Amino acid sequence: MTIKLFGKALVVLTLVAIFGFLGLWQLDAANKLQEAKKVAPDPSVYQLSDLASPATALDSRSVGKKVSLRGNYILTFRAPNQSDQQELVSDWEVALMQVDQSSAVLVLRGYWKDRLTTPGVATSSDGVSTGVDLQAIVQPRQFDDVSTNSPGVISRVDSSVIVALTDLDLYDGFLLATSEQVSEGVIDRDRITLAPVESKATGYYWQHISYVIIWWLMAAIVIYLPFYRKRQESDTLSA
Amino acid sequence: MKSAVFRFRVMAIICGYLSLILWFFYMPAKYLFHLERTQPWIVWITHVHGALYIFYVLAALQLSVKMRKSIKGMIWMILGGTLPIASFVLERRVVKQNS
Repeated sequence: MTIKLFGKALVVLTLVAIFGFLGLWQLDAANKLQEAKKVAPDPSVYQLSDLASPATALDSRSVGKKVSLRGNYILTFRAPNQSDQQELVSDWEVALMQVDQSSAVLVLRGYWKDRLTTPGVATSSDGVSTGVDLQAIVQPRQFDDVSTNSPGVISRVDSSVIVALTDLDLYDGFLLATSEQVSEGVIDRDRITLAPVESKATGYYWQHISYVIIWWLMAAIVIYLPFYRKRQESDTLSA
Repeated sequence: MKSAVFRFRVMAIICGYLSLILWFFYMPAKYLFHLERTQPWIVWITHVHGALYIFYVLAALQLSVKMRKSIKGMIWMILGGTLPIASFVLERRVVKQNS
């Protein structure tokens, strides 16, 4: 009898703890969401090496930060069917920039249609451009394919889709170019604007709060159930 | 008893329709067609369902106690609001038991 009672108490406590922690987890997610909305934009300009390392997952805290770097474009790709902040669907010009002896990063330079009207960067016979001073914003890699990979075409802006094309170590994510300068001067072309990257804390504040209430309500019900059962038993006996 | 039955019936029907919309419209729209990015309003389906489910649970709990349901029966009544059609089945059963 005592063992049975102890077992029941253990089950109740376990369920209450699970529901309680689920509620706390949702509450934490709701708070993180609120905090993420309060973060002010960072005006500082960083070196790429301060924010990321090649062949390493991009830290979400680096996303949206401005970087300044110098490198050479070694490959160019078309990224079809991409949509910008205004949801205008177009093809983009994405280039692979070698930043040192052993590493490279993808750069979203602009619209594909502008690549010939504003060539700007001289390229040698082996496809390597002259040095480019780049100002850019760090972006996370895209996850969803919007086209198919083929020679010169990438299905999404993500260094993992071109990993077989180079021996260099690739940075995770990509750089959204805001300004490019070569020895002849600044390259004048339309730049793409992207929607602000959503916080890692996913969901919506009130959605999380409603889950908090539901989980804690479940915990309260589990606490109530043994008393309910006892009441049912006493009602049966008195009847 | 009558008002508890009424409250449960209203919440069971509302949550039943919302569950159907959630399972057969929102889920495919979000996970198959990735519409949440272009049609962000669809997320309100989950908000409304989440908020109303709280009231459904309270109504189910109150009616279960009044009807002296077993613990198993009470749990089924509470979970009924999360599954499509289940709350409609429960609503009909409650009507039958109380008519």
